[in-house]
Amino acid sequence: MPGWVLFVTGVLTLAGIYGALAMALNLEAGWAGLWDLGTAGLFAVGGYSFVILTAEIPEVSFAPELPMMAGVVAAGLITAVVAAMIGLPSLRLRGEYFMITTFAFAEVIRHLITNEGEITRGSSGISGLERPFDDLVSGRDYNFVLLGIVVVAVIAVYLVLRQTAKSPFGRALRALRDNEAAALALGKNVTRQRLKAFVLAGLIIGMIAPIYVWYIRSIFPHLYVSDITFVTWTALVVGGIGSLRGPLLGALILMSVTEATHFLQVDADKATLIASFHPIIIGVALIAILRFRPEGLLPARRDYPVARPTGLGGAEPPGPPRTLVPQGDAAGGGH
Amino acid sequence: MRIVVDDVSKAYGGLAALKNLSLTVEAGAITAIIGPNGAGKTTLFNAITGFDRIDEGAILLGERRIDRLSPWRIARLGIGRTFQTPAGFGTMSVWENLLTAGASDESERVLAAFGVRRPSKGFDDVAARAAELLERLELAHLASIPVEELSAGDAKLLEFARQLMRKPETLLLDEPAAGVAPDRIAELSTLLREFNEEGITIAVIDHNLSFVLDTASRVWVLASGEVLAEGKPHEVAKDKRVLETYLGQVA
Amino acid sequence: MQNIVFGILTGSTLAVATVGFALVRQTEGFVNIAHGQYLALGAFLGLFFMESWGVSVFLAGFLAVVAVAVLGVVVARLVFDPVRERGALVLFFSSIGLAYALYGINQVVFDPAVRAYPVNFGKNIDLGSASITVGELVVIGIAAASVILLHVFLTRTTLGTWVRAVAANPELAEVRGVRVRLTSGVVWFIGAGLAALAGVLIGVLGTVHSEIGWANILMILAAAVVGGLGNIYGVIAAGLLLGLAMDLSTLVIPTEYRLTVAFAAIIITLLLRPEGLFTVARRKEEVA
Repeated sequence: MPGWVLFVTGVLTLAGIYGALAMALNLEAGWAGLWDLGTAGLFAVGGYSFVILTAEIPEVSFAPELPMMAGVVAAGLITAVVAAMIGLPSLRLRGEYFMITTFAFAEVIRHLITNEGEITRGSSGISGLERPFDDLVSGRDYNFVLLGIVVVAVIAVYLVLRQTAKSPFGRALRALRDNEAAALALGKNVTRQRLKAFVLAGLIIGMIAPIYVWYIRSIFPHLYVSDITFVTWTALVVGGIGSLRGPLLGALILMSVTEATHFLQVDADKATLIASFHPIIIGVALIAILRFRPEGLLPARRDYPVARPTGLGGAEPPGPPRTLVPQGDAAGGGH
Repeated sequence: MRIVVDDVSKAYGGLAALKNLSLTVEAGAITAIIGPNGAGKTTLFNAITGFDRIDEGAILLGERRIDRLSPWRIARLGIGRTFQTPAGFGTMSVWENLLTAGASDESERVLAAFGVRRPSKGFDDVAARAAELLERLELAHLASIPVEELSAGDAKLLEFARQLMRKPETLLLDEPAAGVAPDRIAELSTLLREFNEEGITIAVIDHNLSFVLDTASRVWVLASGEVLAEGKPHEVAKDKRVLETYLGQVA
Repeated sequence: MQNIVFGILTGSTLAVATVGFALVRQTEGFVNIAHGQYLALGAFLGLFFMESWGVSVFLAGFLAVVAVAVLGVVVARLVFDPVRERGALVLFFSSIGLAYALYGINQVVFDPAVRAYPVNFGKNIDLGSASITVGELVVIGIAAASVILLHVFLTRTTLGTWVRAVAANPELAEVRGVRVRLTSGVVWFIGAGLAALAGVLIGVLGTVHSEIGWANILMILAAAVVGGLGNIYGVIAAGLLLGLAMDLSTLVIPTEYRLTVAFAAIIITLLLRPEGLFTVARRKEEVA
C-alpha cells in the first residue's frame, strides 16, 4: 500500500476524532455559550473508563473485561456523570472564571489518573489494547476499519447535533446564550439548560473517547494534556463557532496541516524540530483566524434557515440570513 | 395578586439606591413609577424580579415573600418584566424569539428533540399565539428578521410581545416608550390599556410624562431611592414637590 | 521544617510570576495564557546568555528580563491590539494561540533537553531543623525586591498612578488625561519582564525544560484565582500561600499530588468565593 494512502487515512481518522470533539464542544460553546476548557479531562474519563471496563490488564485491581460495545456506552454514561459533577458547581461562574475552573478540573482528573496507579497503571499507562474487529483484519488494513468506525461515529454525532440544533432545546440554548437576562425574565431555568448541554456534550465526548484509544492502541495520562482541549478549540474557531459543519472542516484543515509535517523525510534529530512546528501552526492559525475571519471558515448563519412564521410546514416568507455569532465578536459572544 | 414592596433598602457599595422604600402595585391597575435619573426606578424593578438582591425589607406577591427567589422562579409566578435596553435573542428571528418565549419546559427537553416523549399538543397553541401577537403589535412584517437588526422601538415592542407569550399576571415595563416613534406613543398607550383590560396588571417606568398620565391609573414618584409622592395622575401632576424635584430637573 | 523553606522559595517565585499576570489582567482586561511562555522564554534566554556569552547569572538574568519585556510590548501591539475591540474572550483565545506559537518557537530555537543553570548556591546556612543556601536567600531577596519595587512604582510615580487609574476605570482614565497607550506599553513591559524574572528564578532553583511554561501558567492561574485575578496584592499573598500549601502538602499526601493542590485551590476558592479570597465582593453582573 502506498505511503500516502496510509497518511491520508491517518489524517482523516484523526480529523474525524477531533471533528467529533469539536462538534461536542460546539454544543457547549457555540450554542450554550459555555466556554469550556475541560475537554481533555472528559476525554480522559471516557478513554480510561472504556479501557478499565473492557481491557485485560495485568496487575490491576479492577478489570471487569466487559464487551466492547458495553464499554463504549458505559464510557459515555460515566463521562456524562462526571460532566454533571463538574457542571453543577461550575456553571454558576461566569466567563474566565468558568474557563479556569473547567481547566482546573481537567488537570485534576489527569493528576488523579496519573497517581491512582491501582486501576490506571499510572504514568506508564496501558498498551497493546485490543480493538474491535482486530481478529478479522490484520496489520495495516486495520487503519481502514478504524476510519470506517470514525466515519460512522462522526455521522452519528453530526445527526444528533443537527437534530438538537433545530429542536426547541437547541433554540433555548441559543436564546440564553444571546441574552441570559431576557431568558430569565421569561422564566427559563438557564442553569438547568446549560447543565443539560454540558452533560450531553460529556456523553458524546465519552463515547468518542474509545475511538481515540483504538487509534493510539494504548492509553497513558500524557495523552490527555490540555493540548487536546486547545486543538479542539482551534478546530472549532477555525471552522466557525456555532456552525454545524464548521467544526468538522476546521478539524480536517488543522489535522491536514499539522500532520503534513510528518511527510518531510528527516532524520530523528530533525524530527523533534519538525514536531515543534505543530504548536506553531496551531498558534498562528488561532491568532490569524481570530483576527481576520472571526466568524470562522463556515459562518454559522449558513446552517440555519430562516424560521417560518406559519409554524409547522407552510410558506416561507423571504428574509435575510441570520448570523448565529455576531460579526466581529466570534469568540467573544460570552455573556 | 398585588405586589407589596415593604420597607426595602438596597445599596451598591456605599451608594443607597433604595432607602426604606414601600409601595404597592395594585392588582388589575396600571401603575406608573416616575422620577429623575438615579431615583431607583430600575433598581426597584430589579429587586421585585429577583435580578438584584435587596439588603433589607420584604417584597410580597399576594401573601408570599418573593425577595429571595431567583429571577426565573419569580417570572414563573407570573411577574414578567422588560429591560431598558431590550436586546432579546439577537441572533434569532422575531418569530423564533416568540416561539422560545412561549415554549414549555416539556418541549425544551433534550429527549423531545429526538421525538421521545415529545409533547403532542402545545406547539400549535404557541405558534397561534405568536402569530396573533405579531398581528396585534404590528410586527408581522418583521417575523423573519433577526432581532439584532430591529430598530430600538420595534425591539421594545418585541420584548413586550415575548413577555405576553407567557401570559403573565403582572408585567413590569421599563421605559416602554423610549425609542418608540412619537406618533406611535399614543398607540402604545392604547395597547397597554387594552392588555390591562384583558386582565394583566401593569407597572411602568417612563420619562415621558404625558404618556404616563395618559396610561396610568396610579402614579408613584421616586427620588433618591425614596417615595416622594403617590396618587392619581392628575393629583401627582399638581404636587408642588413633584414639580420642583422631578419636573424641574427634567425640564 | 525544610518544607517551609521550599514552600517560601516556591511561593516567592510564584508570587513574582503571578503579580505580572495580575497586572496585565487588571489593566488589559483579559487572562493572558502566554504569560507562562514569557516565563519559559526568560528561563531559556537567561541560560542561553550564561552559556553562550559567559556572563554572570545576574547579568544573564537582567538581559533576559529586558529582552522578554521588550518582546512583551511588541507582541501586544502586533497580536492583541488589533483584536482589542472584540472583547476579552477573543483576546483570551489569541493569547492561547500566542502561547502555542511561542512554545513551538522556544523548542525550535533552544535545546529542549532538561538542563540546569550552572550556578553555585554557596554556603549552607543552618536554621536548626532546616537549612537554606546563600543562593536561595538571594532568590528570595530578588523576588521580594521586585515586588516591593512594583509597589513603589504603582504608588509613588505618575506612570504608576496611571496604571492604577486604567485598571480601575479605563474610560474615566482616558477622559482624565491618562495616556492610555503609553500606560498599556508600560504594563506589558513590566508584566512580561516579571514573567521572565520568575522564569530565571525558577530555572535557577530547579531546571529549565520545554514544559516549564505550561506547568507554571497552571500554578499562576491558581494563584491568580485564589488572590482574586486582578488584585495585585491579593495574588502576591496567594502566590506565597499556594507555594507553602503545595510544599507542605507533601507532608500529608503523596508528593505526586503537589500540583493537584494548586488546582484543588482554584476549584475550592471559586466554589466558595467566586471573586477570589482577597477581593472585596464586587458583583458587576450586568442585568439590563
